Amino acid sequence: MTQTLEAPKTKIPPSTHPLAEIIYRLEAGGTMLPDTPENLMQIIGLYKAYAVPMDFYWRDLLYIAEQVFLNPLPWSKYFISDEYLDRENKYSGDNADLRIWRGCGDAHPELREFMAQGELKKNLPNILHHLWHDRINMEFAEECMRSMLWHRDMYKPWNQFDGFLDTDEYKQNCDRVIKAYFKGNPAMLGLYKLFPDMFYEQCRQMSYYSNLGLFWEVMAPVFFEMSDLYDEGKMTSVPAAMDFLVNGIFAIAGRPIYHHVYIKGECFEIIPKSKGFTWLYEAALPYVEAVFYRTAPFRGTKSYNAQAGQVPDSQPDFHYGVLYADKFPVGTAGIPPTFLAQDMLHFLPDYLVEYYKQHCRGEGDTIVQLAVSFQRSMYCVTSAVIQALRAALLYPLDDEDPEHLMANRQFFEAQMDRFLRPEARIRDIQSQEYR
Amino acid sequence: MILSALILVPLLGSLIVGFYPGVMSPALSRLVTIGFASISLLLTIAIGVMFDLSHIGLQMQDFLPWLPDLGLNYSLAIDGLSFPLVALTNLLTVLLAFNSSVGLKPGEDLKRPRLFYSLLLLVNSGVIGAFLAQNLMLFFLFYEIELIPFYLLIVIWGSEKREYAATKFLIYTALSGILILAAFLAMNWLTGAASFEYGAIDTTDLSRNTQLVLLALLLVGFGIKTPLVPLHSWLPDAYVESSAPVSIMLGGILSKLGTYGIIRFAVGLFPETWVSVAPLMATIAAITVIYGSFCAIAQTDIKRMVAYSSIGHMGYVILGTAALTPLSMVGVISQMVAHGLILALLFYLIGMIESKVGTRELELLSGLLNPIRGLPMISALLILGAMASAGIPGMVGFVAEFMVFQGSFSAFPIQTLVAIVGTALTAVYFVILLNRTCFGKLDTKGAYYAPVARWEYMPAFILTIVILFLGIQPSWLVRWSQVTSDAIAFVM
Repeated sequence: MTQTLEAPKTKIPPSTHPLAEIIYRLEAGGTMLPDTPENLMQIIGLYKAYAVPMDFYWRDLLYIAEQVFLNPLPWSKYFISDEYLDRENKYSGDNADLRIWRGCGDAHPELREFMAQGELKKNLPNILHHLWHDRINMEFAEECMRSMLWHRDMYKPWNQFDGFLDTDEYKQNCDRVIKAYFKGNPAMLGLYKLFPDMFYEQCRQMSYYSNLGLFWEVMAPVFFEMSDLYDEGKMTSVPAAMDFLVNGIFAIAGRPIYHHVYIKGECFEIIPKSKGFTWLYEAALPYVEAVFYRTAPFRGTKSYNAQAGQVPDSQPDFHYGVLYADKFPVGTAGIPPTFLAQDMLHFLPDYLVEYYKQHCRGEGDTIVQLAVSFQRSMYCVTSAVIQALRAALLYPLDDEDPEHLMANRQFFEAQMDRFLRPEARIRDIQSQEYR
Repeated sequence: MILSALILVPLLGSLIVGFYPGVMSPALSRLVTIGFASISLLLTIAIGVMFDLSHIGLQMQDFLPWLPDLGLNYSLAIDGLSFPLVALTNLLTVLLAFNSSVGLKPGEDLKRPRLFYSLLLLVNSGVIGAFLAQNLMLFFLFYEIELIPFYLLIVIWGSEKREYAATKFLIYTALSGILILAAFLAMNWLTGAASFEYGAIDTTDLSRNTQLVLLALLLVGFGIKTPLVPLHSWLPDAYVESSAPVSIMLGGILSKLGTYGIIRFAVGLFPETWVSVAPLMATIAAITVIYGSFCAIAQTDIKRMVAYSSIGHMGYVILGTAALTPLSMVGVISQMVAHGLILALLFYLIGMIESKVGTRELELLSGLLNPIRGLPMISALLILGAMASAGIPGMVGFVAEFMVFQGSFSAFPIQTLVAIVGTALTAVYFVILLNRTCFGKLDTKGAYYAPVARWEYMPAFILTIVILFLGIQPSWLVRWSQVTSDAIAFVM
């Protein structure tokens, strides 16, 4: 079922890039993923399965950034308060600023059901569900946040959020919040006096909690809506799915990225909305770069051997993100599948459950099959980001000017260069038999 | 009559499965084979119950004059040397009948199942007959009966180079048979014995040189079957080119005829001369251990690796036999059983890997312990099997090897120490095998292996349980052979 595209009959010569076929597809307004009904079913099903835990991730990320903050013993950071479960998403529900999903604004019903009974389907105390890992694995979200923190300095000068974290203004804001947060706690204030940079670094981490939470607050309703449209038969192709994402990206590109902390009901602004940081440049791009291209949640899927000189000197050369990840639980053959895969397993739509039963080992390796589908779906998202960047920075696909078309071509080729390394799965996902 | 039943039941089963005129589906022929093999196993258990552990010498004798004028009689008996081997043979036969498809590709059916099962039972009958025969010519008859079924099993169900391997096997084992026949006939003629009965042959009056020549014939004859270096070259080809069940039969069952023959006939009939050749045999044993181990290390085909490992491990048997102390002889009999069990387990698991992955090449195998897409249970059992073969405490291999080394050190310290080095080398090649096969990264593009059904695990589970049980409770293995091995050693 792999689609093959010929070089488009345009005013520019054919591409000599090894991934020319995919480049032609992008130039034709398509995605890196072949447009097949099977691919569409997989990516949409996975968006839905991803969106439910994501609905928890963004709430808990904001809960940690805003409420838990610098608690040195954050035992309860995964036990999200009702206030945050009931918190209205800004992009879904009746009170939405911009209603992307037609559903509810508070926590998704499937999420609430799972949080109450878990996979065990038993009403046990939360702590038992937690210890049994019968819960949403927030560790995945935290790893994503950390990978954004570790891979800083990305997309300058468009991304100004990161640079702000090193400014005196940011430190002054932190200083004010830290003193308020630890008021009456001489031990922590003493430590702050001795090691201020350590506290600033913790604040930066908290700011990334907020950054990612605000990013995912948008993505969850986008994915829910795509799933609903598919169920209604209104989303019929992979490019249509990508277009929905591109449109969504532009619709909410200007959403402010900020960091507020609530101490005894009072709001402290570490990163005020007035700084003008926006969703597209300060959250979406760094997220895609850090998580899709080089990320920590998928570590273990590629093992760098320092003694063999395999550890890159430059941080940007690390490539082991979701798009490159080997989805098998490998490393030592004993590393469990990623936490995200476990989370998504609980919320698969029925059609995907049935689909996975028909292939490979059926229920026995559904978790690997869904992880491969996830990779496909994230290639679709990455395609959307690439097309959005092209639209924002370059020229329309139907531009008549050959120079503009060549500029677009060079942009696509530069993007595809990142998938030339053997670890990249882009060639794998061209085949339907890659499961 | 119970011993005769041990031979006749599988023989009858073989005839029914092979020559029943009506239609017999593969499933039915398998079922019938399991039935007959199970009856044999139950008879073995019954013999175990009746077995007198304190009795020195032969038990449950069956005697029937056959051609008395020629000294040929149908004479069967069992003792502590043959009983463990009979039990091992019958256990392996049941397990092989249960899953003869091991090693086949997914969806592939066992071709000519009736012939296969018929030959399986015929082999069982012949080997049991050889272990029980107390008449030299009767032993030879059973010994030779094996030749044709095994040739057919290799040449019909083998892999690419099966004709070459089968012909090589045929030539070597035919030569082995000729040498043994020559030795048996010469013993009868030169000693002037009235019959070919084992008890009637007394070689003590023969000259030293005559004894040496006859012993050499037996050692070369049985040494081929064992095999001993440098008579081993048929083995790797036969083991590797055979299908997995046939490899198990060759390694688990047939090779024991060689060591059994050496102990029963070479040591038993030429006790004094054996003492003269024992240092040489101990040296050959040590060389066999080291050679087998080094060859195993060099292999890239895991089945060939285990085949060479088998050669090395048979060296321990010869070392203990050369030492001929009570402890080493108990160790020798235990090692034969342990070797049969462990080799059968390893070949079974390698067959499963070949079935599911489609290769045995170390370069291509990786990450099979992967819990979701790999073969985790097969890999786990393979690790256990490798540990047992490497003599890790708690498993039957350790018990047997420890007794062999402990019993042999006083007689042949240098050879024993060399053999102990061989156990370390065993660990080396099994670490290589496990590290490359089970650990590491599963091949992303090719890792769509069919899952292993629970019933497919069953034979491997049973073998593992026996290996663990006898490792933890070795007295259950030693008790059968203690008196007999003491008696063999006492002769010296």
